[in-house]
Amino acid sequence: MEPSNDVALDIIITNVVAVFRTRCHLNLRTIALEGVNVIYKPEYGKVLMKLRKPRITASIWSSGKIICTGATSEDEAKQGARRLARTLQKLGFKVRFSEFKVVNVLAVCSMPFAIRLIDFTKNNRPIASYEPELHPAATYRIKTLKATVQVFSTGIICSIQITGITKFL
Amino acid sequence: MTSRICKNCGCSEIDLDQARGNAVCTNCGSVLEDNIIVSEVQFVEGSGGISSAVGQFVSADGPVKAPVLGTGFHTSLGKESRAQTLQNGKRQIHNLGSQLQLNQHCLDTAFNFFKMVVSKHLTRGRKMAHVIAACLYLVCRTEGTPHMLLDLSDLLQVNVYILGKTFLLLARELCINSPAIALLVAARMHEFRRTVKDVIGVVKVCEATLRKRLTEFEDTPTSQLTIDEFMRVDLEQECDPPSFTAGQRKVKMQALEQELAKKLDEVQGEISLYRDEIETELENSRPKLRGIYAAYAKEIDPLDEVLSQASCSSPREVDPEEDEELEAVAQHLNQDFLCQVIQGEQQGDERGGEGVTEEAPPPHPPPRGGPSLASILGPLPSAASLGLSESIHECIAEDKDSDGKSGSGELDLDGIDDNEIERYILNDKEVRVKTALWMKQNEEYLREQKEKEERITKEKEQGTYKEKPKKTSKKREPIRASTAGEAIEKMLEQKKISSKINYDVLRDLNSKGGSGNSSPAQPTSTEEPPSGPPGRKRLTRRKKQPNKTNMGLATTIMGKRLRPLISSATKKKRAASQVTPNLTPAATPVLPNLSSPPSPNPAPPGPTMVESGPVAYDEVAEDEEEEEVEEPCVSALQLLGGNEYGCEAEEEEVF
Repeated sequence: MEPSNDVALDIIITNVVAVFRTRCHLNLRTIALEGVNVIYKPEYGKVLMKLRKPRITASIWSSGKIICTGATSEDEAKQGARRLARTLQKLGFKVRFSEFKVVNVLAVCSMPFAIRLIDFTKNNRPIASYEPELHPAATYRIKTLKATVQVFSTGIICSIQITGITKFL
Repeated sequence: MTSRICKNCGCSEIDLDQARGNAVCTNCGSVLEDNIIVSEVQFVEGSGGISSAVGQFVSADGPVKAPVLGTGFHTSLGKESRAQTLQNGKRQIHNLGSQLQLNQHCLDTAFNFFKMVVSKHLTRGRKMAHVIAACLYLVCRTEGTPHMLLDLSDLLQVNVYILGKTFLLLARELCINSPAIALLVAARMHEFRRTVKDVIGVVKVCEATLRKRLTEFEDTPTSQLTIDEFMRVDLEQECDPPSFTAGQRKVKMQALEQELAKKLDEVQGEISLYRDEIETELENSRPKLRGIYAAYAKEIDPLDEVLSQASCSSPREVDPEEDEELEAVAQHLNQDFLCQVIQGEQQGDERGGEGVTEEAPPPHPPPRGGPSLASILGPLPSAASLGLSESIHECIAEDKDSDGKSGSGELDLDGIDDNEIERYILNDKEVRVKTALWMKQNEEYLREQKEKEERITKEKEQGTYKEKPKKTSKKREPIRASTAGEAIEKMLEQKKISSKINYDVLRDLNSKGGSGNSSPAQPTSTEEPPSGPPGRKRLTRRKKQPNKTNMGLATTIMGKRLRPLISSATKKKRAASQVTPNLTPAATPVLPNLSSPPSPNPAPPGPTMVESGPVAYDEVAEDEEEEEVEEPCVSALQLLGGNEYGCEAEEEEVF
């Protein structure tokens, strides 16, 4: 797999997940009742708030921890998170935007050729694993980058990179 | 054949007699070897002339289970459980494996995997069935048998992904490389395809058609029958041809859609009505409106309130174009919401819809329609009145902006449009409306919460309230016993040690001195005691007294007698000599209940009881019931250091 200089490979980031803390206790019921774009899930103990501008869905917990998903770039994620904090501020909580961290980035790339997964797996034995009964893609784990790459036989490669967040909630 | 040459005469003719186990020189007759260990099968004649081989069956994992005599005994207590686990696992592996037609070698390998898994504690928190299945599948993979994970999941009726997860985890932990089975899967799939293709070729029907027919067939009751039943039973009920049912469904859907469209139209009408009103109000200036709003705001009737709200929702931002755009968006959103609400109402009960329909002509909404209308119209004016809320905010001149930003979490407000954010927040009325909606939606959950709280308060009053389902840890009280024997028996009772111990014999040893030791007060059920005759039971019910006896006597007699026979561990026990009642070996194994208060012997000792000890001692013993008995000899605890309580001795008694 030489780096293809001829064909420009488009790597498209499809999802960025970020987390941050508001450093204050949030009353989920208030948020749920006073926000237009919220869904309250009392069984799970969280509120889902969806923003339109950076298309973002945020899960808000009462402890003040918030997970922000759906952004298409890291900057967007940060912007959306800030907006969210601003909204919460307006609702009356003493919100402080702290510990913003991008946790997960999902990107997709398409190869102009098909890939033979069985040979691929055989050549990369411990790093790659392929279970056709369970999932049609071979999973290739890069420990150093903490990334998981899913390789499909059609040539689509999907990479999930987790920047190491262990016990957030 | 070590003995080639006789030591005495140098002769090399030596006769090995297997039966006697001797090696004798034929020349001089000297016995060169004696007691040779032979491995021959011996036969014994049983009753009725049947000869049977002498020996015992030793299980394949015999060495694992055989309790080690002597000092190793305490470890075998833990191994019992492990051995049981392995045994259970082996059984399950054989069960499952035989269904897959795996040969013995595969099953053994699977069992080895299982042993590895257990030793690495990977079975913790996982269902045994899953682990077994994963082990079997590991074997299938490494051996290359044509079994798929799907087959296993089919057998177990477990989700294949769950099995897959377990399997992958185990493979990773055990560092086993399972060669890709992809080829097999591919082959299977292609085979399947081919069969389908064959059928298509013959029947001249498209693949999609086949699949469709299959799904339709699934819906019929015939598909629920097994093959046998199908052969036997002819269902009376006829099914409509699928095209008919599909047509019916379509008709139904169309009818529903029409209804929905009708309702939508009505709502649309109202919406446009309000929209017009709003637009007319747009002409008015802001302060004037506020006055109007104030006037309208006092209305109680929900309908009028909403109307007024809608009408005076005018105060907008400065740009009319933005407003229109905003409104358009709001309209769009609200219509979605409206549809949702309508449908929700429909599903709940039809009155909601009726409420809406009746809404238009008279301004008297039916009681159900009131809230529904309000809820439907709620969001509409909300979007429209966003500007209103903002103006209100300005009026109140809240200073929140300055506060939140300061501090460590400064919010950089670049690019954040406050106006936009304002739109995300509803004002009071809307909040109320939404509250009502939400409450209705989540009624069940709220009810459950309330019940739970009530339950908790009730329990608190009763004093039986438990904060959380606590795992009550078995706190063993320190055993209080006056003599070592008592202590041992108490411990046995607590620990519920294995059933292989013949406590009667054990107690016999104790009581050989004559007066038994008493203590066993109640028979315990844990040891699966052979239920002895009631007389014995009565006996055992006695509390320690009767034979607390003669410690001295016991020590001297038993100590002397038993010392050579029994290991040091038991000696200590004897030394303390809590002599149990002298029961014959078949008596109930009874464990002491030292905590029971001393009480006079309920019944005279049964015939089996050999009260050779002086009766006088009994009283003495009774008196000494509670005291710490001082013994001339050292107590078991002291001798031993307190850990091993004569379990070893019991072990010896077994066979």
